[in-house]
Amino acid sequence: MRRGAIVLIAAAAALIAVPFVITNEFYLNLASQILIYALLAVSLNLLLGYGGMVSLGHASFIGLTSYSAVLLLNAGYGQLLTAVFAIVFSTACGAFFGLLALRASGIGFLMITLALGQIVWGIAYRANNLTEGDNGIRYAARPQPFGIDISGAPNFYWFTLIVFAVALFFIWRLTRSPFGAALQGARDQPRRMRMLGHNVWLIQWFAFVLAAFWGSIAGLLYVYYNLFISPHAISLQQSAEVLLMAILGGASTLTGPIVGAVIITLVKNVVSTYVDRWNSLLGAIFVIVIMFMPFGIVPGLRQLWMRARAPKKTERAA
Amino acid sequence: MTPALQAPALEVTRLSKRFGGLPATKDVSLTVMPGERRLIIGPNGAGKTTLFNLVTGDLTPDTGSVRLFGQELLKLPTQQRVHLGLARTYQILTLFPKETLCHNVVLALLGLDRLRWNVWAMLAGQNHLYDAAREALTLVGLGNVADRTVAETSYGERRRLEMAMALAQKPKVLLLDEPLAGLSQEERSQVRELLGRVPRDVTIVMIEHDMDSALAFAERITLLHYGEVIVEGTRAEVVADPRTKEVYLGE
Repeated sequence: MRRGAIVLIAAAAALIAVPFVITNEFYLNLASQILIYALLAVSLNLLLGYGGMVSLGHASFIGLTSYSAVLLLNAGYGQLLTAVFAIVFSTACGAFFGLLALRASGIGFLMITLALGQIVWGIAYRANNLTEGDNGIRYAARPQPFGIDISGAPNFYWFTLIVFAVALFFIWRLTRSPFGAALQGARDQPRRMRMLGHNVWLIQWFAFVLAAFWGSIAGLLYVYYNLFISPHAISLQQSAEVLLMAILGGASTLTGPIVGAVIITLVKNVVSTYVDRWNSLLGAIFVIVIMFMPFGIVPGLRQLWMRARAPKKTERAA
Repeated sequence: MTPALQAPALEVTRLSKRFGGLPATKDVSLTVMPGERRLIIGPNGAGKTTLFNLVTGDLTPDTGSVRLFGQELLKLPTQQRVHLGLARTYQILTLFPKETLCHNVVLALLGLDRLRWNVWAMLAGQNHLYDAAREALTLVGLGNVADRTVAETSYGERRRLEMAMALAQKPKVLLLDEPLAGLSQEERSQVRELLGRVPRDVTIVMIEHDMDSALAFAERITLLHYGEVIVEGTRAEVVADPRTKEVYLGE
C-alpha cells in the first residue's frame, strides 16, 4: 500500500514536470493529446473491461460534445454554460444510446453502438448548414478557467492534466465502489446477479451513462485542444482506435487503457514521421503484444513482475 | 387485514411450460405453507429445476400462476422477486470464481442494499457488509476460508458458499437445487445439520435427485415425473405409495 502511494506520487510529479522537461511545443501538445485519448480510453473501459460490453461508438461522444460546444458558443453562450450544456447534451445522448444498445448484448450490442456512432458521424458529415460537413467548424477560443490563460501549450497541458487526474480519481473510486463490484458481477454472472436481487440491465445502463459522461469530458478537452471539430474525429476508425488502446494496454485494469493511449498516440504522431507504414507497425505491435500478453500490456507486465519477485516458488513448482 | 399471514409461502397453480414440443412442466400445482420443509423429488428430466426456474423468473411459463405469500410473481422480473424474499441456490454452480468467498457473499448482500448504486464509497470500507458476510460464512462452516478465492476451494466448500449467499439474504422462501449433490458423506451430514439449524421463519423447498439422502429433512414430499406431479403427501405417504416405487424402481 505504501509502495503504491510512492509510485503514485512519483508518477504525479513526473506528469506535472513534463512541461519543464519537454520544451518543444509539438511534443508538449502531444502529451496533452495523449491525456485526452487516455481519458477517452479509460471511460470506454468502464464498459469494456468492467462491464464486459464492447462498444464501437465511443468516439461519438467526442463529436456530440465538440459540435454542441461549437454551436452553443457561436450562439452566444459563455464558456462555462457552453461547457455544462455540451456535457449534459452529450451525456443525455449517451443515456438514450444506452437504452437502444442494451436491447441487445454481445455482438448485437457492438453492432448497435457501431450504428449509433455512424449515425452521429453521418449527421456531422451531412448537416452542412449546421456542421459545415467535411470541412469542420472552429471553436472560437479556449476558456480562461478562473481567469487563467490556457492558450499556451504548457498551461493547456496542466489544465488537461488536472481534469484527467480528477476524472481518473472518480473512475478509480467507481471501480472500487459497491457499484463497481455490482458492474463486474453483472459482467461475469448476469443470471446469478439477478437472482441476488441486482437489476443487471439498470447496472449496465448506468455504467453506459457514466462512460458517456467521462467520454464527453474527454470530448470537451478535445475541442479545447484542437479548437476545431470535423467528422474525421468521430469516424469509425477513431472509435476502433480507442477500443484498441484499452485492449492493448489491458482492459482488466484501470491503467491499461492509459498505456494503450500512450503507445497508439505516439506511433500515430511520432513514428509516422519516420516510418511510412506506421499502420503496419501498429498492427505488428498489437499482434506481438497479444501473442505474449493476451490480456494486454499492464496485466502482462504485472505477471512478469510477480514471477520475477517469486522465483523460488516457481522453481519449486517446476 | 393480514391475508399475507394466512397465505401460503409459495403457491404454484396449474403451471405449464413447453420447450418446443416437449412439455417440461405440465399443469403443476403445489402449495407450501410458511415454515414448511418441502422436498421435491423425481428422476432426471422430471422438470424439477425447470420448476425452480419458473418460480424465480429465469423462465417464463406458458400458463399458470406463482404466488409468494399471496402476491403474484409472474409479472415481476427476477430481481424484484428476490426483493420480496425469494432466494435460491443453483445445481450448476454459478459463483464468481476469481473473487474471495467473502466477496461472493458481499455481492449477495449488496443485491438487497441500496448501497449497490453508490459509485463513490469504497466497498472495502463497508465493514457492516463484510461482518455480515463473515457471519454467514461462519454459519456454513467456511469462516476460516473466507478470504480464499472460489477457485482455491473444494466442490463441497463451493456448495456451502452457495448456501451462505442465499442465507445471508435472510430470505422468506429458500429454494435449494440439489444442495447435497456431489458431496462426501461427511459434507452431506454437515449440510443436513446446517439446514436443521435454519430458523422456521424461512420456508425451504429443496430439490433432490437422490431420495434417501434428503428424506430426513422433508415434512412433505412432491414427486415429479415427466413434468407432472405424480404423488404428494407426508413423508410416510409418499414413501409408501406404489407409484413412488414404480418411478424410482421401475426404470
